[in-house]
Amino acid sequence: MMTGWMGKIVKIDLGSGKQETIAVSDTMRRRYLGGRGLGVKLYSDLCSSTTDPMAADNALIFMTGPLTGTVMTSGRYQVISRSPLTGTICDSSSGGHFGAALKGAGIDGLIVQGRAAKPVYLSVHDGGVEIRDASAFWGLNTQQTQKGIQAELPSKTSVACIGPAGENRILFAAIMNDKDRAAGRGGMGAIMGGKNLKAIAAGGSRPVEIADPSGYKDLAALIDRAVDKNPVTGKSLQVLGTSVLVNIINAHGMFPTENFRRGVFNDAEGTSGEKIAETLLLRQSACFKCPIGCGRTTRTRDKNGEGPEYETVWAFGAHLGISDLAAITEANYACNELGLDTITMGSTLGCAMELCETGAWKENLRWGEAGKLLGWVTDTAYRRGIGAELALGSKRLAVKHGRPELAMQVKGLEIPAYDPRGAQGMALSYATSNRGGCHMRAYMIAPEILGHPVFLDRFSTAGKAELVALFQDVSAVVDSAVLCRFLQFALGISTFTEMLRTVTGLDFSDEELMKIGRRIYTLERQFNNRAGFDRSDDTLPPRFLNEEFQTGSSRHRRVHLEEMLDDYYAVRGWDRSGVPLPQTLAELGL
Amino acid sequence: MITVKFYGLLRRRVKRSAVDVAGDGQTILALMRSAETAAGGTFLDELLDTDSGLLTGTIILINGENVRFKSGLETRVATGDRVDLFSPAGGG
Repeated sequence: MMTGWMGKIVKIDLGSGKQETIAVSDTMRRRYLGGRGLGVKLYSDLCSSTTDPMAADNALIFMTGPLTGTVMTSGRYQVISRSPLTGTICDSSSGGHFGAALKGAGIDGLIVQGRAAKPVYLSVHDGGVEIRDASAFWGLNTQQTQKGIQAELPSKTSVACIGPAGENRILFAAIMNDKDRAAGRGGMGAIMGGKNLKAIAAGGSRPVEIADPSGYKDLAALIDRAVDKNPVTGKSLQVLGTSVLVNIINAHGMFPTENFRRGVFNDAEGTSGEKIAETLLLRQSACFKCPIGCGRTTRTRDKNGEGPEYETVWAFGAHLGISDLAAITEANYACNELGLDTITMGSTLGCAMELCETGAWKENLRWGEAGKLLGWVTDTAYRRGIGAELALGSKRLAVKHGRPELAMQVKGLEIPAYDPRGAQGMALSYATSNRGGCHMRAYMIAPEILGHPVFLDRFSTAGKAELVALFQDVSAVVDSAVLCRFLQFALGISTFTEMLRTVTGLDFSDEELMKIGRRIYTLERQFNNRAGFDRSDDTLPPRFLNEEFQTGSSRHRRVHLEEMLDDYYAVRGWDRSGVPLPQTLAELGL
Repeated sequence: MITVKFYGLLRRRVKRSAVDVAGDGQTILALMRSAETAAGGTFLDELLDTDSGLLTGTIILINGENVRFKSGLETRVATGDRVDLFSPAGGG
């Protein structure tokens, strides 16, 4: 009997309505687990690296993993495709309950191809997938859509949907589920819009079979204790959310301010997690079986909603020179409702402001204009006025206006809220990320700033290549299991191994999991190589390589990328142009 | 005077964001003990383990530099310094 996995992945063509069950061998499950890993493998087999992300034949894959629907934080799911924003392989992850709902409905994953003739949504219940008319929901925001679809279906149905931004195929449109959880990065929502797919709804009560129920019970109790005892997961994230980082990163002089021109934001305190807790916080919010509850349910004078978390506080705050916490929060609410990635939205606005300041773009976007923020965000979702240009994202916008260096991006994806000059390992992580400027492939802020599991010298390049590769591999495993990455503050790899052994009954070892992570990372790299990405793309905007801050505790620093990159390729078993060597591929079975 | 700033859970604990304390030439450990007195509430248990070692994730900055890369809790402070205290935290 198969345990952990439900044993069913459905492929559906929205054009013809035809659906089939995809056969996945035991070997393939063991080699790629699920979630991100299995999703990338299935995508690579179905599509080519030249597939137009917005073409009807492009596949959009929703995946869970063997641990989905089991222990704490296992409600997550991954969305995999080729990103319309970057052209790289992309997986976008979201919390909430939707992943557990897919498994409750009896499936591990759903592959969507084709384009529907009119707006539709998919209902996944009892192992079956039904195409339903979504005409009544087209044009509605993500909150209205979720409520409307839930009203048509059995209770406890979880809905993942797009808002107007996805319908309008904005390149950084998000998929929103369980009210305000977001698969935010890389424009997966635009692909849904291109397919006329408004939403996927899932629910059911099929249990995830556990190989060793007694061991599982003991392990779940152990995890409970570890997470509760850990000061980050058991206390800080609960009380202050992720925005506790605002003051920490600012004190390290690497809180990107006004499009990364400074590393200290003088008004950081007013946008901090401490300030949110004092002024806006109504209550914590939590995902499936999660005792941490890092989410913030908040209210401003006029509205209430979810957020902001750290990246969003920064993207609409320091990055734009804005210190009005209510305006930042309401821009976050708007992105949730419209279905937009807050990081790319905010970063693009910062790029636009610098383009305007330099005169490269003859528009009038200025730093600190909090009152205009909501209008800019809304206009972007509908491509109205200057929103039509903001909808390009920072890279295309900066290229259009002749100043490509002013876009703070890697491979077309905007860099988030840690200036890489303040942490050399984070810099290498950004440069080598398979989905572009992302902090989640290898969160080097943990050892370089936060001291987890130990403190490393943030300005040193020594040993960073090995650690970045290691973190990338572990992250690929957790994203494929699928669990929340915040568990890594409290749990080591061996606990993840034990969870997989207990749930699946397979004799995984730590070494095998690390090899799985490496296999997944290398498979993603191969896809990107075929799509035309090479060493020249594993870089950072020149600002980080050539310019130094004059103030703050990261002053007089630059990123020393080239020396780390050579080490990194050597650690990875790739050649000097960033292509995996034949022996590396052979060792990984690729 | 030396300004000691509290963040995150520490601030909620001592119900203030900063204190100014005298301590030229003292170790950071002694200074923090003075800060507890000045703040009128204990907080060191959020930063140190029972053996007075730094907890995993505790961040103590003196003028923006982490004491772990200086002399740890034996690092000396001087008048005019700014000390930032963060109990273990995370995010992403």
